[in-house]
Amino acid sequence: MNKLEAYPTLSRLYDLQLEVFPAHEDFLKRRFENSSDEHIGEVAQLAEIVERIAGYNLRVIAEDYAWLTDRMLEEEYHFRRTGKYRLSTFEEAERTVYADPVFMQKYMNGVLLSHLWWGNHSRVIVYFRRQFLPLIREGGSHLEVGPGHGLLLYLAAQSQAGSVTGWDVSETSLKNTRNALQAMGVEKPIALEAHNIVNAPSQKFDSLTFSEVLEHLEEPLEALKILRSLLNEGGKIFVHAPVNSPAPDHIYLFEDPEAIIDMVEQAGFKIEKTECFPGMDAPIDRARKLKLTISTIVVGTAI
Amino acid sequence: MTNEAIYAEIEPVFRELFDDYEGPVNAELTGNDVDQWDSLGHVQLVVSIEQIFGVRFDPQEVTDLPNLGALVDLIAAKKSG
Repeated sequence: MNKLEAYPTLSRLYDLQLEVFPAHEDFLKRRFENSSDEHIGEVAQLAEIVERIAGYNLRVIAEDYAWLTDRMLEEEYHFRRTGKYRLSTFEEAERTVYADPVFMQKYMNGVLLSHLWWGNHSRVIVYFRRQFLPLIREGGSHLEVGPGHGLLLYLAAQSQAGSVTGWDVSETSLKNTRNALQAMGVEKPIALEAHNIVNAPSQKFDSLTFSEVLEHLEEPLEALKILRSLLNEGGKIFVHAPVNSPAPDHIYLFEDPEAIIDMVEQAGFKIEKTECFPGMDAPIDRARKLKLTISTIVVGTAI
Repeated sequence: MTNEAIYAEIEPVFRELFDDYEGPVNAELTGNDVDQWDSLGHVQLVVSIEQIFGVRFDPQEVTDLPNLGALVDLIAAKKSG
């Protein structure tokens, strides 16, 4: 594709994706034809990181992305027909997704590539780097709860934060994060620890990332209140969660961005900034009217 | 139910979902003609059609249809079946 020619890695990933998933050509063409040169440059930087994480498994990851889009379409049919997510309890998600290592690996692989191919996902990463990281305290302590693919933790480790920590309930997920960070070549030591925030150690941090976790929880407000207790007063939080976003393990439905923003405020944060990135880079009015996915970002200060 | 009657019911839904498209809504239309008619838009179109006509599609049968005419033919077949 012409617009990608200046970026060999992104161009290579694009061609590989279409080789294993030719039916995605229209989607990917539109995704980049409608993107600015600046955004494509940002995605090209992400592509360098994604390629390092993927290592020799790039083809498998591209196949897993194609598999993921099929799973997403199944969930989309259910959501459009019923107005609800298919699952509503953590136990169901644990049984059908988290406890199935093969499913989980494919799912995480597919999500990794979605950060290149889905405009809303790449824009969240760019926003985090440009808008949130400059707000965190020089030499301060930074925590990410649920670091998953490790992209945001990696970027935090490149920032002015003094120490960087990742917590996850799942050892398997932590192992995945550890491997990704190793592949990305992080120099700053990052502590990766298995903790459930419900029984979290009594530590305090200066900043915190909570990205794509709220929608996996039965009681997201309670989780946000716990996160508030983990931050020093004045500490900054970056919350990212999607609206109307059916997926195999999403259980809590936010119907509009305000539902997320209000919840963060209710948990004891002053709202500093919010941003909405609709799926398919749709205009926000259209996304609201048709109840499309909207990746919603809330940056708050602990008060 | 005639195909003409089906198009008459579909057109307002089609135009609401894909509001950048201003051309005719006819049998020859494909995803190449309508930028917003992507895979997720297709799910919304299919589910809207299910609700309007009281039919149900297996997602497999409405994936990879060559054009809108094929979808209308499917609706007609379900309504007469």
